[in-house]
Amino acid sequence: MNTIIPVENHGVLAALRGFLKRLLDEKIVEALLVPLTHGGSVSPALVTNSAMLDEADPLMPIMPINTARAVSALTGKKAPTKLGVVLRSCEIRALVELVKLQQATLDDVTLIGIDCAGTCELDEFLTSNSWNNESLAAYLSAAHDGIEPEIKPALRVACQMCVRPAPENVDIHIHLFGADTTVVLPMTVKDEIAEKLHLTEAVQGEAWSVESSRVATAQLIGIRQKVRESELSSIRAKMNSNGGVAGMFSSCVRCHNCMTACPICYCKTCLFKTAAFDHEPDYYLNATHRKGATRMLGDTLLFQLTRMNHMSASCVSCGACTSACPANIPVGSIFSAVAEKVQAAFEYEAGHDVAEALPLITFHPNEWTEVGEEK
Amino acid sequence: MTDSYEPRIIAFLCNWCTYTGADLAGTSRLQYPPNVRVVRMMCSGAVDPVYVLKPLLDGADGVLIGGCHPGDCHYQTGNYKTRRRYVAMREILKSTGLDDTRIWLRWISASEGQRFAETITEMVASLKELGPSPMRVAWAV
Repeated sequence: MNTIIPVENHGVLAALRGFLKRLLDEKIVEALLVPLTHGGSVSPALVTNSAMLDEADPLMPIMPINTARAVSALTGKKAPTKLGVVLRSCEIRALVELVKLQQATLDDVTLIGIDCAGTCELDEFLTSNSWNNESLAAYLSAAHDGIEPEIKPALRVACQMCVRPAPENVDIHIHLFGADTTVVLPMTVKDEIAEKLHLTEAVQGEAWSVESSRVATAQLIGIRQKVRESELSSIRAKMNSNGGVAGMFSSCVRCHNCMTACPICYCKTCLFKTAAFDHEPDYYLNATHRKGATRMLGDTLLFQLTRMNHMSASCVSCGACTSACPANIPVGSIFSAVAEKVQAAFEYEAGHDVAEALPLITFHPNEWTEVGEEK
Repeated sequence: MTDSYEPRIIAFLCNWCTYTGADLAGTSRLQYPPNVRVVRMMCSGAVDPVYVLKPLLDGADGVLIGGCHPGDCHYQTGNYKTRRRYVAMREILKSTGLDDTRIWLRWISASEGQRFAETITEMVASLKELGPSPMRVAWAV
């Protein structure tokens, strides 16, 4: 059901904290995973003491890690208790993929998704040190209008081209799009939770309605769709130009940051973190005789292409890899451009539906029947 | 290209079908070009994309994956998964602007020694037409 939490003088953040406290106090959840303010930034933290929620700030526009990984750590195969998790839409999509990869579970998990107007690069955000009540107001007012927020620093590229900013398949959906959050904090809550909290049906009006939410969301998606198309087509043009994808990854130092930050790359022992590609000294000299020269930081393109093969079917375009790259390679845009094609080939949308099988572990006997039969 | 160009092919063959098929080609004394180096796998479904990509990026001119015909997999469904992985891999190579035509997947049963010999002959001819892999001299991949 739709309900509205009134926003009083203390502002929308206080209203949101108040609601989260009720979830803990009224035992809807035993523990809550939520971003807590922490040294000018936020860190996802597990909270059982509701007084700690005075530090909760899910509205600060930064995503230091894709929190789906934290949910994986907290649930594994079975959540130890009733757990609430406050996530952005891309974190929810990543979590859905991790569930399918058997790295997390949604049983006993209350998913709380907040409309995401976008996030900034962590380093730029910390350097600018300019986040205050006014910038929050500007950020929320843009979400209300369904336009890009004019905040400094600019949003991450992944966010500028995010076409799925509203959370899907959640138990509690907190609306920012199309909502006048100076007066109301609207949310769509699953009936059983609403009943326990004695929430009342929202009186829809000027401050928020299902329709205003739909219109603002659609408008923002429209804006971002255009950015996405232009970003991905410029990436594709580069991959098909001289130098190609090898050139785009030429500054890769194989630090594995993209893999470490990627919520989908869950393998405890990645092949690329083993000695598999540490060759005998002779190997390099032989290769050099063949090629004339050998880059002594090898297998960078192999690493990237292999990662594409292993995870692009599940890529949710969160851009954590781009944010983690020390060489400013647009890893996320490259992977998004590839993932779009791979997912289209299997008619699959990553993070959309827990019931949909992962493309590479399922099959149908009567598909691509021409493959392998060529004469 | 120059006349001296001989394509180098790395083949990953499934133990139960294609490898045995290749063996049959040999014991039947069928002629096919000696351009292929065979790696025996227990199943084509065990061929991780990294095994295919490593030789390609190191300068092999072609990679062949050989498996049982769909429905005949010794492990029931391995080759169906191979097929999906192969579709994904070619999609990835295509969308990154790399040549996806150097990777071949062929279903060749244990009794199809003739088909194995023909496949290698055909692949060598096709790779000769394509010319040496640009990765042969790419020093910084």
